[in-house]
Amino acid sequence: MLSDRDLALKSLQYRLQTLELIHSAGAGHTGGGLSCLDILNVLYNRILRVSPETFGDAARDRYVQSKGHAVEALYVVLADRGFFPFSDLETVCHYESDYVGHPTRKIPGIEQNTGALGHGLPICVGMALAARMDRTGSRVFTLLGDGEIAEGSNWEAAMAGAHYKLSNLTAIVDCNTLQISGHTSQVMNSEPLDEKFRAFGWGVRVVDGHDLAALTEALSGPAEADKPTAVIARTIKGRGVSFMENVAKWHHGVPSDAELAQARTEIAAAIAALKGGAL
Amino acid sequence: MKTLRLEFADTMSEVGQCDPRLVVMVGDISHGILQGFAKACPGRYYNIGICEPTIVNMAAGLNKVGLVPVVHTIAPFITERAYEQIKLDFGYQHLSGNIVSVGGSFDYAQLGCSHHCYTDVSLLCHLKRATVTIPGSPVEFNTLFKKLYATDGIHYYRLPERPHGIEFAASDLVPGRGIRLREGSDLTIATIAPQLSNALAAAERLAASGLSAELLYFPMVKPFDQELLRASLGKTKRLLVVEELSAHDGLLNLCLRAAIGLPGFSVRHLALQDFLHGYGTHEELSERAGFSPQGIAKSAHDLCSSP
Ligand SMILES: [Mg+2]
Repeated sequence: MLSDRDLALKSLQYRLQTLELIHSAGAGHTGGGLSCLDILNVLYNRILRVSPETFGDAARDRYVQSKGHAVEALYVVLADRGFFPFSDLETVCHYESDYVGHPTRKIPGIEQNTGALGHGLPICVGMALAARMDRTGSRVFTLLGDGEIAEGSNWEAAMAGAHYKLSNLTAIVDCNTLQISGHTSQVMNSEPLDEKFRAFGWGVRVVDGHDLAALTEALSGPAEADKPTAVIARTIKGRGVSFMENVAKWHHGVPSDAELAQARTEIAAAIAALKGGAL
Repeated sequence: MKTLRLEFADTMSEVGQCDPRLVVMVGDISHGILQGFAKACPGRYYNIGICEPTIVNMAAGLNKVGLVPVVHTIAPFITERAYEQIKLDFGYQHLSGNIVSVGGSFDYAQLGCSHHCYTDVSLLCHLKRATVTIPGSPVEFNTLFKKLYATDGIHYYRLPERPHGIEFAASDLVPGRGIRLREGSDLTIATIAPQLSNALAAAERLAASGLSAELLYFPMVKPFDQELLRASLGKTKRLLVVEELSAHDGLLNLCLRAAIGLPGFSVRHLALQDFLHGYGTHEELSERAGFSPQGIAKSAHDLCSSP
């Protein structure tokens, strides 16, 4: 398993690669990609029992990215984990490329096509139920956005997940407090999310979604008996780049050459600080 | 040419200031450009968030107590996802309102086919009391919206991302009427926005090669201008339909139903046969579906050379 420091370096490396990918493609979802990157890092490097070699196994863990628009961050993590070569990502947004602006099952490592919000959690309820029926021991994880949580289908699925006592199901909510047009609290307030999930019968863990150790603990700890787990991850949209943090326009903003250069400088400084601090 | 989306925002401000019953509700889309309406019409603008079925339910509730709702977001989510709400809460309950979408067909090409929508026009056409408008230029939306929005019915307006660029006068635009852009004798080309520009370019190309195409454009498909289609097809006996919609149920269906009883005619169809998977710009996907001037001209030659 990666050391804490190597895991932290991965987060910084993924941030830079995600920004470079969006910059070269000329399109993408920047803010929400950066807000969930630490979650993806912990999932793919510490939690999920899945690899390119085991992706066909019935007993593998499943991950469904319901907030599909943050696909560039997922592409970067999957490439790093060896599901496909990084060079594939040069085709993102090219005519006829399978690497489109939302996840599709044409891409190695992606379980489920997503893009329309509010589908991931209900699908995962079905997948978790099937895993229990088949006794495969596989676990099911999904990542939702806090804007997405307004879709009513999520709450129908929350009821079903608790009703069927799916302790092999984990829903992570990337609570970056923003959506396309502004603050989620102003568009459609969904808080307090922890109390809502608890009231629906879920085990709930609230964590700093950029604290890799806290995420590791929240995602690896045993589920409460007969309950699905909701991990409410408090995050910052655009995390890691000063001028993108908490700015709604970076939802699908594409960095210019100069903005990418500044982001590179900031991330390089963070990498240097991390390496220096650990020596 | 101004985009349809900006015209939508301006039309809401214009109508909202004259009609205090108008209320606009969006699903986290076009929020920025509607701030003019929000300021001009305080208390009558709501960004409800990402919950389309509930937005449609709420709009029906507003109409039930006398307001005139306009709901707006991306086409697949407000029509395919919320279809039962439209069908029952507006249709079955006999309530009235307006649904304005963006992102029909593959306008959001880069986001992949979860954001494509080929069936919205068909779905809305199924409903009694529905009107379906596909405005391809700002004046089409502004004129037809003002004529329809407060009348009894479920009014659907599908706004293409790219206007077709052809100028019409407001007086050209009458609910339920199509427009004959070119007279011709060899074949009839029937089309809708946004492919009018390609169809017009194809008609010009055909003229240069000796084929005289009559070009019909339908800013509204429900009600459909059957008379215009029948008069043209009765003359040319050959029909080429070009529509950026599902091949399974769209303009071709309307034209064939209008043509029932006409003596022998032949037909070609350019439409979306299936989902277009894979990335591409709108222009690239149009070309692939056969919607280029050369693709349309090729179908026309094929139609005119067959016995
Ligand atoms: Mg968010």
